[in-house]
Amino acid sequence: MNDASGALRRTALHGAHLALGARMVPFGGFEMPVQYASILAEHEAVRKRAGLFDLSHMGQFELHGSEVGEWAESLTVNRVANMKPGAARYNIFTNERGGAHDDVIFYRVSDDDWLLVVNASNADAMWALVSAAQAGDVRLTNLHGERALIAIQGPRAASLLQPYVEADLAGLRYYACTRTRVRETRDPILIARTGYTGEDGFELFLSNDEAVGVWDLLLAENRKHGLAACGLGARDVLRLEAGMPLYGHEMDEEITPLQAGLAWAIKFDKPAFVGKDALAAQRDADDYARIVGVTMEGRAPARAGYTVFAGGERAGEVRSGSWGPSLGKNVATALVVPSAAAEGTPLEIEIRGTRHPAVTVPLPFYRRPKK
Amino acid sequence: MAQPAGLLYSKEHEWVKLDGDVATVGITDYAQASLGDIVYVELPRLGATLEQFGSIGVVESVKAVSDIFTPVGGEVIAINDAIEADPALVNREPYDGGWFYKVKLGDVSQSAELMSPEQYDRLISQT
Repeated sequence: MNDASGALRRTALHGAHLALGARMVPFGGFEMPVQYASILAEHEAVRKRAGLFDLSHMGQFELHGSEVGEWAESLTVNRVANMKPGAARYNIFTNERGGAHDDVIFYRVSDDDWLLVVNASNADAMWALVSAAQAGDVRLTNLHGERALIAIQGPRAASLLQPYVEADLAGLRYYACTRTRVRETRDPILIARTGYTGEDGFELFLSNDEAVGVWDLLLAENRKHGLAACGLGARDVLRLEAGMPLYGHEMDEEITPLQAGLAWAIKFDKPAFVGKDALAAQRDADDYARIVGVTMEGRAPARAGYTVFAGGERAGEVRSGSWGPSLGKNVATALVVPSAAAEGTPLEIEIRGTRHPAVTVPLPFYRRPKK
Repeated sequence: MAQPAGLLYSKEHEWVKLDGDVATVGITDYAQASLGDIVYVELPRLGATLEQFGSIGVVESVKAVSDIFTPVGGEVIAINDAIEADPALVNREPYDGGWFYKVKLGDVSQSAELMSPEQYDRLISQT
């Protein structure tokens, strides 16, 4: 993460961000762009056209071997071994209490070649974890900071990206991945139809020395089609509207994937995995606090840490909150007691000593329009 | 945007327009640019009595909540309703349509605590 002096690391695109006038902030041990011109303008670009994101701060681990699938399944909630080459899948590494070490995506590039992408804030801890857990025919390589990651997200992402890639993007399903030649790269690279915005989009895993060329080319030629560089500020609003969890907010070492509303990702019919017993017990007792969506009635935003009341009693706390431009309302997630979790439950959020009316709503707040 | 003449400024990046003993207060162009997209402003209540330099409300951008420290004290005699429905007005017109509130000064000499346009300009060019 930080080097010995404590200085922040920089991605291969650092100079490009500065040239675009980005406001840089520390994130996960890297200097990252939180915004360029305006978070709301960048958010709108992604919802209406396309945005380009530098995600090179995230952890990337290559996994190689014949036993990767089974090995990974013992450490995570979802299935891994039955992923076909060319598949990507969301998963969570758990602790013995069923809490989350991190939420991740596995990409199976070929039978024996996999990529695991982890959150930037957990890159060091996750590397330590997988290294310590290494067993059998599983070889691990840490590429954190060694390879770039650019995402293009938005309704125009496929049409804007297609001229630059050999693969037929129309044939690449959501959560599929493939190796393909991309303009300005020597060798084929991995691309995946994955993202964190609720829009269509692609993630491109590029070598550090080629990332700037691809980034600059895409922007230079597609600004006229509405492509905009977008920072982490817009990314957070987009993912919140799309009901996607952010590690450390909707899920952490104590808040389990079950509490976070991710039961779909927990395969209880796997014979064993870390935290299975705890999660099964939690599921069976069904009295756990859970993450819900919240919309505010008024203009004051709810923010992480604000107390939630229902029926005058303390019912939980806000975990994430923001103005939601796609909704025209303030939206939030909250961890609340079961009695406050039903859709339509009237809530009050305490903001600077005053309680503001709100209501429990299902997630996501926003779904992209069907074509 | 150059600092408008005819206004006084605070270290906390507010401007004050004096009209006798009535002061109109808002935030500067430097402040709105630093904050980014403003999504909410919590203003003091009509009739509230403010202490000079006290924390009397907040300005919220997409990512952050910032305190408003009133550059002058007195009774709040008007608040700008337009910015509740359209907080981005503060970004677009920090010195005009995006004003925050008006105060009837309890002590007109408080304006001596504030900066001239030139002094404020020097302050922000140092940051």
